Amino acid sequence: MSKTTQAPKALRGVGNFIDDRFHLAKTGEKNLRKVFPNHWSFMLGEIALYSFIILLVTGVFLTLWFKPSMVEVVYDGSYERLQGVPMSEAFASTLYIDFDVRGGFLVRQIHHWAALIFLASLVVHMLRNFFTGAFRKPRELNWIIGVLIFALAIVEGLFGYSLPDDLPSGMGVRILQGVMLSIPLVGSYISMFLFGGEFPGEDIITRLYMLHVLLIPAILLALIVAHVFIVWIQKHTQYPGQGRSEKAVVGTPMFPGFAVKAGGFFFFTFAVIAGLSAFVQINPIHLFGPFTPTSITSGLQPDWYMGFLEGSLRLFPNTLDFQIFGYPILTSVLVPGLGAMGLLFGALGAWPFIEQWITGDKAAKNMADRPRNAPVRTALGVAGITVYGVLWLAGSNDVLSETFSISLYLTTYIFRVLVFVGPVVAFIVTKRICLGLQRRDRETLEHGYESGTVQQLPSGEFIEVHKESSEDTVAVLESKPVITSTALEEDATDEKGVENPAARKPMGKFRRALAHWYTKDNVSFDGVQAHTGHHLHHSADHGDDKAH
Amino acid sequence: MKWITARRRHPLAGYVVVILALALFGVGYAALAPTADQAQAQTLAAEAPSADDVDIAQGKTIFDQTCASCHGLDGSGSDLNGPDLREVGSAAIDFQVSTGRMPSMDPNNQMPRKPMVMTEEELANLIAYYDAQIRTDGAGADVPYEVPDIAPQRADFDDEESYEEALAEYEDEYDAYIEGADDVDMGMKLYLTNCAHCHSWSGGGGALTDGRWAPEIHDSTPREIYEAMVSGPGAMPMFSDGAISPEEKQELISYVKTLQAEPNAGGIFDLQRVGQVAEGFISWTVGLSLIIACAIWITAKQRAHD
Repeated sequence: MSKTTQAPKALRGVGNFIDDRFHLAKTGEKNLRKVFPNHWSFMLGEIALYSFIILLVTGVFLTLWFKPSMVEVVYDGSYERLQGVPMSEAFASTLYIDFDVRGGFLVRQIHHWAALIFLASLVVHMLRNFFTGAFRKPRELNWIIGVLIFALAIVEGLFGYSLPDDLPSGMGVRILQGVMLSIPLVGSYISMFLFGGEFPGEDIITRLYMLHVLLIPAILLALIVAHVFIVWIQKHTQYPGQGRSEKAVVGTPMFPGFAVKAGGFFFFTFAVIAGLSAFVQINPIHLFGPFTPTSITSGLQPDWYMGFLEGSLRLFPNTLDFQIFGYPILTSVLVPGLGAMGLLFGALGAWPFIEQWITGDKAAKNMADRPRNAPVRTALGVAGITVYGVLWLAGSNDVLSETFSISLYLTTYIFRVLVFVGPVVAFIVTKRICLGLQRRDRETLEHGYESGTVQQLPSGEFIEVHKESSEDTVAVLESKPVITSTALEEDATDEKGVENPAARKPMGKFRRALAHWYTKDNVSFDGVQAHTGHHLHHSADHGDDKAH
Repeated sequence: MKWITARRRHPLAGYVVVILALALFGVGYAALAPTADQAQAQTLAAEAPSADDVDIAQGKTIFDQTCASCHGLDGSGSDLNGPDLREVGSAAIDFQVSTGRMPSMDPNNQMPRKPMVMTEEELANLIAYYDAQIRTDGAGADVPYEVPDIAPQRADFDDEESYEEALAEYEDEYDAYIEGADDVDMGMKLYLTNCAHCHSWSGGGGALTDGRWAPEIHDSTPREIYEAMVSGPGAMPMFSDGAISPEEKQELISYVKTLQAEPNAGGIFDLQRVGQVAEGFISWTVGLSLIIACAIWITAKQRAHD
């Protein structure tokens, strides 16, 4: 393609007309050629973006018929089983969408499945960013925006789940109200304000509807736009490899290569969600029936993303409740209900700054870490996943108990122990695995890869022939950063014998301790040269190797 | 062997070994696992058996052989965890035996639903013996013979014609009972207020305290549900005809049986109507996994290493 092709005259005319007025050619050229790294884990955020778009489109469709009203009506629609049953207009209009609107049932199921996938993709996207250290400077603020999106998406999902006013949604709203009531002093006022009186009142659906279709989506949309825009400006991180550096990004240009891929990926995401919606029944509100305050059922849970809160509510003991001047402080609801959520999002939001404080590393990081090369961070992440996972499982302990024939109380006791022991074990195991992988990396770097060919030497000795790794592999392995901390570099005393004031204060000591913990175990690649190991292995380096 | 040797270092060899091992265990287990006796429950006449049809002497033999070891020869119970039967009523006997829970193999544990160990005729004899000799002054609830029980079984009939006749008769009776209830709202409220917090909204059952569980009631016949309500088996409270009238019970039973027979409008996979836990599981394992597999696929082309 050495020949320069010229655009057709008509296109050129339009292009020149626009360019003469807005001078877009230069910025357009620059942005269309923007490079995107090619790795599947960089596509996870796009799943979230696409499912959000699907949510917006299907959500608009649903608002055309949904009536956010708690006025009681007697059902007289197409769904025979519930004819003559009194219910709220919200529930009746949802039945109308399901059974009288063409394609309404499918669209409602797409909306629900897309919500589950949206939240799930947010989580995996966030984990990818955490484990590769993509939250580090300069991307801390975008990380915080991401945490906000995650938190808001959970609330948005909860409110959407509550709108049809069916049996489980009413139970969910009741739990929400219970958590509100547990807030000391202002709890009952907040509840009365939100519900416009006692539970359930006549306003809650209307208010949740406004929050679900207007306020929260608007904020979410703004945050998502900001999130993507910041990525655009700051560019993606990228995994280490040949020709990649802090300054140069390697990948596919936005146009045409990446745009085609991303467009195709949108349709695939949509296909999976639509396929699930067509064949797998979700949230069958017509089977649940309408909510009444006297109705209650076992075996129903919130959607999965609320599961960890449900679990922490189920696990937390009620022996710590106490009273002040006759006013009960319900720690058994307050701590697991609000505390767990605060802890999760607080820890997520604070981590970039905590890590920076520990390492004292203020440099901008555009290269993604391989998770094994930051063993403490990776182990902490897995410990966090373990706590979350245990709470999540505990949220469905009745279903687990029934499905696997385990005593319900036993599951609670197991989870209570696991929520403390699990993360410790996970931390230790993960860190050891990371260090093991680092050792193998050093081995590969020094010796090349095992070829599987066994050779007999003239002396009779058998050796396995190692072959040299590709240049790209070498580049990846050699990129391993050295984890250090400025806290450890600051000497306790300077050359004049004066103690370092920062290291003497409790905070300074604490930071040194953390820095030591964060950096102490690491496989050093010092002095390791690519593909020199075979030679070394049989001579001088042998003793040194053992010393490790 | 050379063929294997050449491929044992293949990248997929590990997976193949795992799959073969799993297949071996699976097939081996399926071949060796004991199969449950396929004892089939048989038909029960819709009306109460008359005195001429039953054999009280045989009922006594059955009682002495299968029940008395725990409940005592006079039904007064024993310290082997067999409760006193004299005031439970024949509905309780019919419920426990027809759902296969009695005779129990382990009186210290909750019994699951199983095929009945005796024939309908033997059960009728047993109940006749119980009513005549053990029951104290007609205490407890009687078997609600007017409520439909299980459908007639082909094996009990000599020819197809009489079977189909009996089946049609049964279906008419069943439909009349279910459709005789027309107040869905009442049935739903009764079920969701009194039953769903253990048996769940769908009748799928659920976990209870102390290692017990509320069984699923999909296989339960209207008569068994009725008997469970009036006799209160295990941890279940008793809902006598005074608390919930027979008409209300009919509404309730009709509600739950109609709900269970309801087709799944949302798709062919209903996830056992477990609800959100199953939906969350599928959204991760099927939904997100497929999409990520696609991401791996579309970005795989240009990778230089690996």
